[in-house]
Amino acid sequence: MAVPIKHILGILVDNLSIRGSVLPLSKSRSTGWAKGLDIPMGGKTVIYTGHMYQLIPSITAMEKMTSKFANSWISKYYGIGRMVNKVINISRFMTWTNANERAKFDGMLRNIALLLKTAEVDFGYLYGEELYTGTLVYDEGINDVFEYHAHKVYERIKKHNVERVITVDPHTTDMLKSVYPKIIKDYQLEVKSYLEVLAESNLKPLKTLEQDIVIHDSCVYARYEGIIDQPRQLLENAGAKIIEPINSRKMTYCCGGPVESLFPIKARTVADSRVEQLTSAGDSSVTMCPICYINLKAAAENNGLSVKDISDYLVEAYCDRNNSV
Amino acid sequence: MSIVNPSFIEEMSRFTEFNAYACINCGSCTALCPMGIDLLPRRMFRHVMLGLEDKVLENTENIFSCLLCKMCEENCPKDVPIVDNIKSIRWYINREIFKLGRN
Amino acid sequence: MSDKRRIGVYVCHCGGNISDYVDVEKVRDAVKDDQDVVISKNVMFACSDATQQEMIEDIEKEKLDGLVVASCSPMLHLQTFKAVAQRANLNQYQYTQVNLREQCSWTHRDNMEKATEKGIKLVRAGIARTRLTEPLVNIRIETKPKTLVIGGGVSGLRAALALADLGLAVFIVEKEYEVGGWTKKWGKMFPNNKIGSETINTLREQIRQHEAITLFTGAELIKKEGSVGDFAVKIKLVNHEIISFDVGAIIVATGFDSYEPFDGEYGYGLNGVVTLPQFKEMVDKSNGSLNLNGSRVKNLAYIYCVGSRQPEDGDLENPNLYCSRYCCSAAVHTASCVADVDPGINQYHLYRDMRTYGKYEVMFEDAGNKKSLFVRFDGEALPEVKESDDSLIVKVNDMLDGGEEIEIGVDLVVLVTGMVPRKNENLTNILKIPIGLDGFYNEIHPKLRPVETVVAGIFIAGSSQGPKTLAESVISSLSAASKSAGLLMKGYVDLEPFIAEVNTDKCIWCGECEKSCPYGAIEKVFCDTKEVATVISALCKGGGVCIPDCPEDAIELKGYSDNQIKSMIDALMKEVV
Ligand code: SF4
Ligand code: SF4
Repeated sequence: MAVPIKHILGILVDNLSIRGSVLPLSKSRSTGWAKGLDIPMGGKTVIYTGHMYQLIPSITAMEKMTSKFANSWISKYYGIGRMVNKVINISRFMTWTNANERAKFDGMLRNIALLLKTAEVDFGYLYGEELYTGTLVYDEGINDVFEYHAHKVYERIKKHNVERVITVDPHTTDMLKSVYPKIIKDYQLEVKSYLEVLAESNLKPLKTLEQDIVIHDSCVYARYEGIIDQPRQLLENAGAKIIEPINSRKMTYCCGGPVESLFPIKARTVADSRVEQLTSAGDSSVTMCPICYINLKAAAENNGLSVKDISDYLVEAYCDRNNSV
Repeated sequence: MSIVNPSFIEEMSRFTEFNAYACINCGSCTALCPMGIDLLPRRMFRHVMLGLEDKVLENTENIFSCLLCKMCEENCPKDVPIVDNIKSIRWYINREIFKLGRN
Repeated sequence: MSDKRRIGVYVCHCGGNISDYVDVEKVRDAVKDDQDVVISKNVMFACSDATQQEMIEDIEKEKLDGLVVASCSPMLHLQTFKAVAQRANLNQYQYTQVNLREQCSWTHRDNMEKATEKGIKLVRAGIARTRLTEPLVNIRIETKPKTLVIGGGVSGLRAALALADLGLAVFIVEKEYEVGGWTKKWGKMFPNNKIGSETINTLREQIRQHEAITLFTGAELIKKEGSVGDFAVKIKLVNHEIISFDVGAIIVATGFDSYEPFDGEYGYGLNGVVTLPQFKEMVDKSNGSLNLNGSRVKNLAYIYCVGSRQPEDGDLENPNLYCSRYCCSAAVHTASCVADVDPGINQYHLYRDMRTYGKYEVMFEDAGNKKSLFVRFDGEALPEVKESDDSLIVKVNDMLDGGEEIEIGVDLVVLVTGMVPRKNENLTNILKIPIGLDGFYNEIHPKLRPVETVVAGIFIAGSSQGPKTLAESVISSLSAASKSAGLLMKGYVDLEPFIAEVNTDKCIWCGECEKSCPYGAIEKVFCDTKEVATVISALCKGGGVCIPDCPEDAIELKGYSDNQIKSMIDALMKEVV
């Protein structure tokens, strides 16, 4: 049975149109990470999560389902699924997430906020007003839905008089920095990834990372946005030794993530190849994108490679943990 | 045998830019693709430019299998906007075949 | 000439090239005591500076009056050893080169004994000839500081201007009523989009202002006599008047013809199938859109290599095996012009190999950027063109898509035709310059002497020599101009003295020789009491056709006298013991 591309995409489209996100999250899910961090609501500069870190646990859950579907009878019912989904948010059920997973990803966002605070960056957060940027529908080429959504997102940001956003993942960075300006007239928003912001700050390490770290560049950071040196600089300043795998910097190798939702098996093959490359370079690797993180992590499960989000390393080196939470 | 259909590309580029005319068929993209999609992007683009719609649609799964990772584009000697082209093909299929989208 | 001579013989090893297959020591031993040989040596490299010096010293010390070097082909070193003789004050025509390498060692590697035997005979023949040599002097001809340029296309015009700028007089003969050749018919031309007719106008204006240039249009060359430096030519003008004048050099710049497809070749003859020159004319005339029979062209296909690179083993009797060089570039450039006229036209290029070499590569890219689509076909499976109800159908296997067979419906098919040689038989016969297998005029040496012909003083320029782009044609025409100027500005040419000579004692003036000479070099004169033949040295080519025709054996060729030839035959026949 062929993969029901049409129906899977259909569900994503419907969700985005009806519920504002491809995999709708409750407000408490999307903003829960900021609890207790005392980040003010709004402001000229805001941290913009784009829901990517928060979405990952749901996406993984859905993939577990689809990888079962891909070759089974269930895929036949995707069409019906889509119709039902319009009324009842079935992705809610499909994406039953686990609390530990959620805590891990929320932790990464907390790390990032803490790092920005330590670097004395003044920033707010849009909390429940923040919207998903529409990456997935953009990538899948559902252009009109995406464009409609993008305008909505921009209006929402502008409604709060935001001038600068600090993004936390490569996909949202690319959307707000490079894609939106192409489709939105008179777009005025200064966009930087937190890695750029930190690299420009005079953040000083409190602790030395005496460690060899194999770096996995995100395709989007490296090839779309040219963000290559900043993560290296931050890790090296903290004393880590960066190990470059066979494919790195502009020649980095994809984690397979972008096709997870449609072809989990193919995605896994790519992730496996990448994990092999990383493993032959060292034992500990670092990612800077939640999608890379989850995919490589899954592929590295039985192979001993440690996979960590860059924020984990940076917090360890630059922040006083006691200040957090 | 396939019939060349110039209006296909016109239809394709009705809403988005599709441009692979600079392609010199060097095959770097195909060789470097982590997905090993042997049709993408070189031959796929030919099918689009020649308007061989059947051949394009036969490869729907390949088209949606692209990671958009730009390994190909980074190494394309002619700076073909490969990833944008792939997204344009997706948009065509979504719009005309899957009838997805706002209308 | 039975006086005693003093001859030196040098037998070369050529560093093993000769000595590996010919026992050179034995050769020397066999001839060392030959009549008149006073010195004989084996040398490792006869052409080396040290050996040349040694020869000079030997010639001077031994007072040699004949020199034989048995080494390589005279093509390679005749001039070298002639110069050695001259430096030692020995007349250069008393030197003989024996070709022991190309004609002996290299040809008989399988049998050293026989090769050595042949080597001995060859050297003996060389000695025999040398024994009968006499000192000869070159014939010096004063050159006429004028050039005849045949052909008034860009090549001819440009060559004429270059010569006139050097102060040399030029006559241009153009067979058409207007100058400009192909170029004047064309609009935008690659690589700089300059309009062809404007290029010609500029040149024509410059020519008009140059007093040193005389232009004859509607005229043709009908006769050429004389030789390098001093040709006498006759031109027939439009009004059938014939004028004669002298020139020192001739530049042939007669251009090319465009290949005319045969009936049915890629649909040629069907409505909408045109050649590249015809198409260029359509594009030049177009204004806002390209039209065929009043309706707008939407889709068009180019088929490349038409009339070029034809298969050797196909049905064609005289296939054009060469690449016409200009057509790929011209076609992609035309496609760009078409896109500028009407960006909505879909252009499909069916090509075998894209040869937009050098700087023209950017035009290929430009055409691509303007949405030309390139489909590569294989030389073994050529595209087909047929007619359908409302369009032309081109069928081709797209080699860039694994040979997938595709059909393209188009309004227009452009056959990208190449260049073929001009049909110029009369001129070729008058000038007696050679034609290559491809039908174009042939140069002496494709790399080192690209504009000279075997007829001294006659140069070839532009596409009369082979397919060229406009830029390349001008390069070659300027090259021909500079070769011509080099010849004429020196003021004289030295010709080899190997010409016929009449023995007036024997001659009875029967006139046979006069009839046989193709160059008109024999005339009748009075000598003492009788009429005899005499040779006009400037016209004689030393061809020798008169010699066997003389019933009295009264004519001989200097440097190749009957006695010399006979003595060589005798030497070759003599047993080697
Ligand atoms: S790398 Fe670029 S030029 Fe080469 S085949 Fe692919 S798209 Fe064409
Ligand atoms: S962007 Fe798509 S086609 Fe290009 S290398 Fe990546 S997966 Fe392959």
